[in-house]
Amino acid sequence: MKHILAAVGVLILFVAPLLTNNSFYQHLMIMVLFWTLLGASWNLLGGFAGQVSFGHATFLGIGAYTTMLFYLSLNMSPWLGMIAGGVLGALVALPIGLICFRLRGPYFSLATLAVAEIVRLVALNWDQLTAGPVGLLITTLPPLSLGGHAVNWESKIPFYYIAAALMLFATVLTYAVSRSRFGAYLTAIREDIDSAEAVGIDTVRVRVSALVLSAFVVGLAGGFYSVYFRYIDPDAVFAISLSVEMVFIAVVGGLATTAGPVVGALVLVSIAEVFRERFAAGHLIFYGLFMMLVIRYLPEGIWGRLRFLLGLTR
Amino acid sequence: MEIFVQSVVSGVLTGSLYAMIAIGLTIVFGVMRIINLAHGEMVMLGMFGAYWSYTLWGIDPFVSILIWSPLMFLVGMAIHRFLLRDVIPKGELNTLLYTAGLSLFVANLALFFWTGDYRTLNLPYAQWPVRPFGIAVPIALAIAFCMAIAITTALYLLLSRTDIGRAIRATAQNSQSAALMGVNVKRIDTITFGVGTALAAAAGVLLVPSLYLYPTVGEILITKCFVIVVLGGLGSVPGAIAGAILLGLVESLGAVYVSVAYKDTIGFVLFLLVLLFRPSGLFGVGRS
Repeated sequence: MKHILAAVGVLILFVAPLLTNNSFYQHLMIMVLFWTLLGASWNLLGGFAGQVSFGHATFLGIGAYTTMLFYLSLNMSPWLGMIAGGVLGALVALPIGLICFRLRGPYFSLATLAVAEIVRLVALNWDQLTAGPVGLLITTLPPLSLGGHAVNWESKIPFYYIAAALMLFATVLTYAVSRSRFGAYLTAIREDIDSAEAVGIDTVRVRVSALVLSAFVVGLAGGFYSVYFRYIDPDAVFAISLSVEMVFIAVVGGLATTAGPVVGALVLVSIAEVFRERFAAGHLIFYGLFMMLVIRYLPEGIWGRLRFLLGLTR
Repeated sequence: MEIFVQSVVSGVLTGSLYAMIAIGLTIVFGVMRIINLAHGEMVMLGMFGAYWSYTLWGIDPFVSILIWSPLMFLVGMAIHRFLLRDVIPKGELNTLLYTAGLSLFVANLALFFWTGDYRTLNLPYAQWPVRPFGIAVPIALAIAFCMAIAITTALYLLLSRTDIGRAIRATAQNSQSAALMGVNVKRIDTITFGVGTALAAAAGVLLVPSLYLYPTVGEILITKCFVIVVLGGLGSVPGAIAGAILLGLVESLGAVYVSVAYKDTIGFVLFLLVLLFRPSGLFGVGRS
């Protein structure tokens, strides 16, 4: 049953963009994939290990700026730059993790919030590197040919498949983690950190590894963001609201589930689009309301409940 | 030297208002073990309350505090009674996320109704030149400072001298024992949340003449508040006061001697250092 569902999912993933020529719908699909990617990587740390980070936008921003700056100043291909963004995000996560994981529970969350604010303020003020609030812009993407055909970067289809590949990577990674010994360590830490320590799990090391892994994926997503939108500024990629939205996706979809972020992202992007037409930034009102309703009445998330109803739990 | 004294004065004045916000956050944490991420939005509501009562009805903010803080006390009690009380047993992580949702909801509702414009409230007497010993004292901030001291003293008396205050402190120390001694812990929780919210709103009202107001102002205030309560030790009222004055000083001295652009960063760096080396707070009174 699970495998059939996964296969159908992958099939839909590949066929979906061919069903419509409307670039707006294609954009929505890309956004669903992008937010799934973010939600899934947040979920690695926040869902499986129960370490709620309110600062994941840091890694998104670092990934985005790395890709952009490597391309603009070193002329490095943005596709390589994207990976560089992931690596740099992971590198930055290492000291952040070593500092913040000396703390537990809500204290950890507060520390990540503080770090994210420091990084945002630095990005905003370090004009020489980031161009400050003015932001960075790419006008053209380097040509790339695939099987003899030049890729058309004006179309959304190539971006769709890149996002789909990234999202598949994150989902497979989540699944692999959930089945591995490492995943069991994370669950043990979430359920009872003292007992986890007592049975010999190096909780700091495991949590730092989870953060680094999660930051790598978010960094990749940041790289994708900069290439897709071709414009970034500190308030677009380092905003606290981005971090909160990642949390929202994982929570609404279902913490510590593989498919949860997909469901969360579908809900989030739909809410955003339905309400964006009516009230400008009004969709955040409904995010907030939705988050409260889900935690109150459906703490295991939409997919967490569905999976139970469909009998998919192990 | 004059600049130094000047920035110390403005640091202490601002710090006193931060203190009120932080005390609200810290007593709620002390009693219920929850970190209320929507606390900044309560300050924001106080600010807008004072702004509208001044703009629409011409009531001076230092008078309208008599309307807004009791009203927000009731709002706080209602939030706890109808929203938070059933979520708290689901664990501290869920509660944290729930208050994050509440914060997002309130801030964006405010954004929807009042737009993101920056507003200011100009009191006619705010420009009066008051220069004791050659130091310029912003008059609105000075009045706010006096009122903040009065309110904090009143709170101190409430906590130390009255039955309700003793019950609140007992619940903070150990809620189970308090319940065994006949304290109605549920009621105390609700009252404490109301008091915390009222303090936040009162600080908002007092801040209005000296600060820009906009619907998402709570975000920056709550992060400052976290810095403060961690500096002072979560759950400790004296710690919150000391931490707030310290942050006020660091910000105003930092703006003068380091850089205006990085003045907020200094506070956060201090915060991280304290978290790292003294997680129970600078004064060792909080719980880590």
